[in-house]
Parts: sequence; C-alpha cells; structure tokens
Amino acid sequence: MSVLPKINMRRTLLIARRDYFGYIKTWGFWISFFLPFVFGIIGFFAASMDFDFSPPKYETILDQTGQHEAGIKAKLDADNQKVMRTAIEGMTKTPLFSDQQGEALLKAFDDGGTEAAKAYIRATIPTAAGQLDNALDNLDFNVIFVEPPARSLDGLMPYLLGDSKIMVDGEPQKLNGALLLTPNGSETKIEYWSTQINSPKVQSLTERYFRDRAEDAYLSSKGLSKEGLKAARSGSSEVVIYNPEKAADETGGGQAVTKEDRIPYAVAMGLSIVLWFTVFSGAYMLLTSMLEEKLNKLLEMMLASTRFSEIILGKLLGVAALTITALAPYIIIGIVGIIGVIAVGPPEISAALQQSFTPQILLFFALFLVLGYIFYGACFIALGSLSQSMQDAQTLTTPIVLILTLCMLVVPIGLENPDSPIIYAASFFPLSSPFAMLIRLPSNPQLWEVLLSVGILLLSCIAVIMLAGRIFRFGVLSGAGVGAVSAWFKRTVLRRSAG
Amino acid sequence: MSNSPLSLSNVSKSFAGKPAVQGASFTVNPGEIVGFLGPNGAGKTTTLRMALGLIDPDEGDVKLFGETPGEQAFGRIGFLPEERGLYKKQTAREAIAHMARLNGVKGREAFKLADDMLDKYGLGDAKRKKNKDMSKGMAQKVQLLSAIAHNPEFYILDEPFSGLDPVNQQVLEGIVREISQGGNTIIFSTHVMEHAERLCDRIILMSGGRVVFDGSTESALDKAPRRMVLSSESGGLTEIVTPFAKSVEQREDGALQLVLKDDAKAHVILEECVTKKVKLTRFEPKAPTLHEAFVELVGADVTAQMDLDAQEALS
Repeated sequence: MSVLPKINMRRTLLIARRDYFGYIKTWGFWISFFLPFVFGIIGFFAASMDFDFSPPKYETILDQTGQHEAGIKAKLDADNQKVMRTAIEGMTKTPLFSDQQGEALLKAFDDGGTEAAKAYIRATIPTAAGQLDNALDNLDFNVIFVEPPARSLDGLMPYLLGDSKIMVDGEPQKLNGALLLTPNGSETKIEYWSTQINSPKVQSLTERYFRDRAEDAYLSSKGLSKEGLKAARSGSSEVVIYNPEKAADETGGGQAVTKEDRIPYAVAMGLSIVLWFTVFSGAYMLLTSMLEEKLNKLLEMMLASTRFSEIILGKLLGVAALTITALAPYIIIGIVGIIGVIAVGPPEISAALQQSFTPQILLFFALFLVLGYIFYGACFIALGSLSQSMQDAQTLTTPIVLILTLCMLVVPIGLENPDSPIIYAASFFPLSSPFAMLIRLPSNPQLWEVLLSVGILLLSCIAVIMLAGRIFRFGVLSGAGVGAVSAWFKRTVLRRSAG
Repeated sequence: MSNSPLSLSNVSKSFAGKPAVQGASFTVNPGEIVGFLGPNGAGKTTTLRMALGLIDPDEGDVKLFGETPGEQAFGRIGFLPEERGLYKKQTAREAIAHMARLNGVKGREAFKLADDMLDKYGLGDAKRKKNKDMSKGMAQKVQLLSAIAHNPEFYILDEPFSGLDPVNQQVLEGIVREISQGGNTIIFSTHVMEHAERLCDRIILMSGGRVVFDGSTESALDKAPRRMVLSSESGGLTEIVTPFAKSVEQREDGALQLVLKDDAKAHVILEECVTKKVKLTRFEPKAPTLHEAFVELVGADVTAQMDLDAQEALS
C-alpha cells in the first residue's frame, strides 16, 4: 500500500486554478504587481529630468570674529568632496567595475577631481556612463553659502522669516539659515538661526569645523600635523587575502581573493533571499486562502466531492503559481539586472557572474525552493485550518514566523563563515536547511551533505503533509481551533486539566 | 450490494466524551424525500457528516451507495452544508460552474449549466455579480444551485430553508419537488415541520442523538392526537361525546374540543348525535399536524425547542 495519498489531478488543478484566479482577478494584486515597475518608471523619469527632490538650502555666515567663515566654507567643500569620493567608491564595488578599474577610477578622482572621474567612466564603461554621470550630478550637496544680505541678526530676520528674499543667479530665494559667530572673550559664541529646526547640516558642519580646529591646535602644540598623521597611516600595510582552494595561474600566483571570487557568495545570498521571500509570501497566501475557505464554510461542500489530499495539493500548486506571478516583477528586474551586468560589465565580472549560476546551484535552488515552499506551506495550511479568525491565525503562526525570521539570520553568518557549526547544523535541520544549504553551496560542501540535506527535507515534507492532512481534517470538520490546541497543550505538555 | 443511497446501522459518535449520535439506524431508499428533523443539538448535522464520510463514526456502519463513504460517491452526491458561504470574489456563474466541474462536469458545459440554472431560478441578472455583492437570500440560492448543478443522484441538504425569506422558501420547495420528480433521492434536515409535512415521503426524527421516529409522514401524523370540534344549539352534546374522548374542553366560543380515543370513529360520533336528535351546528374533525405528532413522540419541551430553533433559523 502506498503511503502517498491518491490524487485526481483534474480536481487538484481545478482547486489550484480557483485559488490562482481568485487572487489574480483582484485589483489589489495588479496594483502590487505593477508597483515596482511604476516606481521604476517614476525613478527613471525623475533621474532623466534631473528632478531635484531636495532643493538647495541657502545659508549665510555672519562672522563677527573675522576668523572662521573661510574655514567653515572650506570644510563644506571638503565634505562635498568626501561625499563624491564615497559615491565613486560605492560605484567601484558594483559588478560594473573590476578591482583594477575601481582602483583606477578612484585614482582619477583623487588626482583630477569629479570631472576626471567622469572622463574615466566615459572612457571605460561608455554604456553606463550616462546613468553614472547623473548619479554623481544628483548627489545631495544641498547646502550653499551665500553672502549675508544684512550685517546684523535683526537685519537678517525678515529673510529668515521669509518676508524678504535673497537673489541667487537673478532668482529670488528664501534664506534657510544664518550662522552667527561673535567673539566671547577668548572663545567664540556660535548661534544658528533658522525656521527649519530639523535641518542640522550647518550645525553639524560647524561643530566638526571647530572640533578639527581643536585637534589641529593640539597636534601642533606637540609639533605634529594632520597631514603627518595621514601620511603615517597611508604607509601602513594592507593584508592581501589568499585562498588555497583557488587554482593557481601558470606563474604559480593568482590565488589572491578578488571581487570575482566573492560573486558566487553574493549570488547564493541573493537566491536565499528570493527563496525566503517566496516561502514567506507563499505560506502567508496559503494561510489566508485556507482561512477564507474555512470561514466561508466552503470546505465541507468541497469535501463531498474532493479528497483532503487534493485540496491541500491544489492549494499548494495554486498559491505557488500565484507567488511566482506576484514575485515576477522582482524576478524580471533581477534577471534584467544580471543580464545587464553580464552584457556591459567588465569581462572578468561577467564571467564570474555567469559561472556563479552553475547547474548545481540552479538545481539545488529549484529543489530547495519547491521543498521549502511545500514544507512551510503545509504547516501554514494546517495552522489556517485550526484558526477561526485572522487573530487566531496570527497567534498560531507567530512561532513559525519567528523560526522563518531566524532562518534568514543564518544567511549573513553563512556568508561570512560557511563552515561554522551553526550553519552546518542548520543545513540539515528541515526548518532552516533550504536557506542554510544554499548559502553553503559556493564553498563546495561534500555532495553527500547536500543530498542528505535534500533527503531530510523531502522526508520532513512528507511527514508534514501527512500531519497537516490530519490537522486539516480535525480543524475543518471538528471546528477545532486555538482553544483545542491550547487544551491539548495543557493536557499533554503541562499535564493538567484544561478546565 | 444494497442499492440504497444511504444506510446507517447502529451508528454512534461522541465528541470529547459527549455523545452526539447514539445508535442511529435508518435507510434512505431510492427516490424518497426524507425529512430529517430534530431540535438543535439533536445530532442531525453529525449524522449527515458521517453519511458523507467527512467524519468517521465511533461505532456502527455507514454505507453510501452500498459502500463505505468515499470517492466512489464523488459526483453522485449534492451536498449543501448547514453553514453557508461562497468565495466572495467569485461571480454566481463561476461559483456554480466551479462546483459542477469539481463534480465531473466538463468546463464549457459547466458554465452553460450555470447560466441555464441561474436563468431558470430567477437569477439571470446576477450571473456576473460577485457573491459579496449579493443579498443573503440570493447567495443561498447560488450555493444551493452549486450543490445541485451536476444533477446528482442523491441530495443531502443540511438546513436548506434556514435564513430564507418566505418567498425564497417557496422557491426552494419548488426546487426540491422538481429534483425529486426525476427519481432522485433527497434527505434534508430542518427544524421547520411544515416543510417536512409538505415535501416529505418519510420523516426521521432525532432527539438527544437518537432516532426517535422513522416512518412515513402519514404514520407520523397517525401519532398525533385526533381532535374534533363540535357545537350544538341543543343540550346533551357533552354526554354523547365523552365516551369517545380522552379529553373534552369547552372553548371560548362555546364549542367543544375533543381529543379522540384511539378507537373512536368520527362517523360513529355523528351517528350517535343523529340518533339522540342533537342538532349539530359544527362538526369539524381537525387534521393532525406533525407538530402535534412530535409532542406525542418527544414531549412538549423538545417540540417547543424545535419551534424556537425554526423561528431562529428563519429569522
């Protein structure tokens, strides 16, 4: 006798179809579906139209000490340069640039400033130069110092209150704030006046300027300088990481770890995240679908013409199709992004990316996706069948949602240390194995370990489906709910009367 | 193999130690309309669920089309559960077609069937209306049509009249009569004795989890006390009728209301009156009702509870 339940595929697919179209036909679904595209289009147009979401704020400095105005302005320029460098550094970490190209871009910026960096980008990656240029042009340099329109605080007040305007490039503008520096004995009294009380940029800039001055004064009192400190730091050693598992080149070298070597881990992490979202959103849809049918009392009617197993499998299939459809925008955007990087990125990155999607990782991703979805889906169906309301469902699913969330936490651990004992154990524990084993795959675990993990998960799926079927039957037809679970817990675990 | 659509033999079921059904035995024969009556908590729904195989009995034997309830009955049964519901976002035709397809009707045929049924039962305008936008009565009719669209052999309807207004109750009675004309078998549970009285060939009465009556509607009515109302312009009527009556009661209008003894015959009373030259102004045998029969069978308290349940169900 087979342990697997009998299934009539026609009825199963009818149930799947109903669940699928039940959601697909709603406005809400299509709004969610198109939202990423709508935001993408809005973002694209905003970027192309050079729309400034954070217009510049005009500030002025009234320096009655005559000592700090130039220094504060220079500090702002240095800050802006730092922001620009950070942005360029961020670009170098994307797969668009190889390590060498990234270093060359930073050097171009350090040597020749923003324009030199842009020129390097245009020469190296002409296809993406337009977007990168825009990204750099749109950096948030929104503090602009202007000459004070009056020489006293009283005189500045109408401008600060918006009653009078300052002229900038022939256009009237509001003065956002005024920094007032007045002598106070040997100290400087600093006041910042503005109606924009949640805009601390000038305050922070000024504080950092005075802190730097204090540091400079201290260092010079010891005969030292900041430049000297920087020079001493730049001479420090950089640690190069080597991987003995990496094949050496013909010169016997080439085992240094590069960005390309890390790409498979990033791919595995990305797939784990996709897996988690698929499982999580699919399981929740199953829960709500189950609950709807239970509350609508439709299940009893269906059960007069359908097997339990067909309802469970039909739901799993219908919601799986629905989840894939719901995630399609993100999947499409992801695939387009990957293809884009492969097409326009540096050859070594393109090659590394292509090599990351090995048949092995794709096969096990598909296996873990299906099994993980079935495992958690069956759990959520069972819990949905025990619930009498959404509140019940939330109460019952809280532990399993916590477990799912914890499973997500293993991903960064696995990325940093794929051989850690916790990841090793998690890759065989059915609740976490889909995520943990996937993140271990780039570190080439033994094949038997991967197969064992799949086997345990498969057996767990069968057990959970059988258990879910019993709970489903019990929950749907006996009207059992949270109360029954609580009574069972008190009776069996706490060994006391449920009262 | 029995050709009875349903047969229960000494079936019992308990929930958490509390008996819901105790030793129930009955057979539903082909072509019968069986009224399954009893107050709330009598065990009707549990019995019907066991009949469908949705729950297993603790003891006894249930046979559906001669076999243990299961997939062999799929498509042969039309089941309307006690508690109602439809997918809110489905249209009426989708709801009917979906259930018909689950019961084996092919795709296009199912939709055509749904359209035809909706037209036939006055819901033609609601074909593309979503269930959430329908009135309660309309939604109930749609659910009933979903249960019967595939033209099953055996209909199990749990409280089909519950929640319907009088007009829709009439419509439903019409549907039940119509499906019975094709030789189909129907069992429906109800609190409302009038429906059973009007529709059923046979009545099964449950009380406290036990079958307390199983027989034809006529034999149920035979259990009711026979009443008669008489009045006369002349005296001596009381003396004539007393030997024939279990009780004699004088009504406000002066007429006498008798509960006849089991062997008393109305024509004998009439002959006695003629012989004794008593001039009758009223001689009215009262037709027995199921309500009176049930008072006899299960007592006044249980019958009163059924009346209350019926009022609740129809309100």
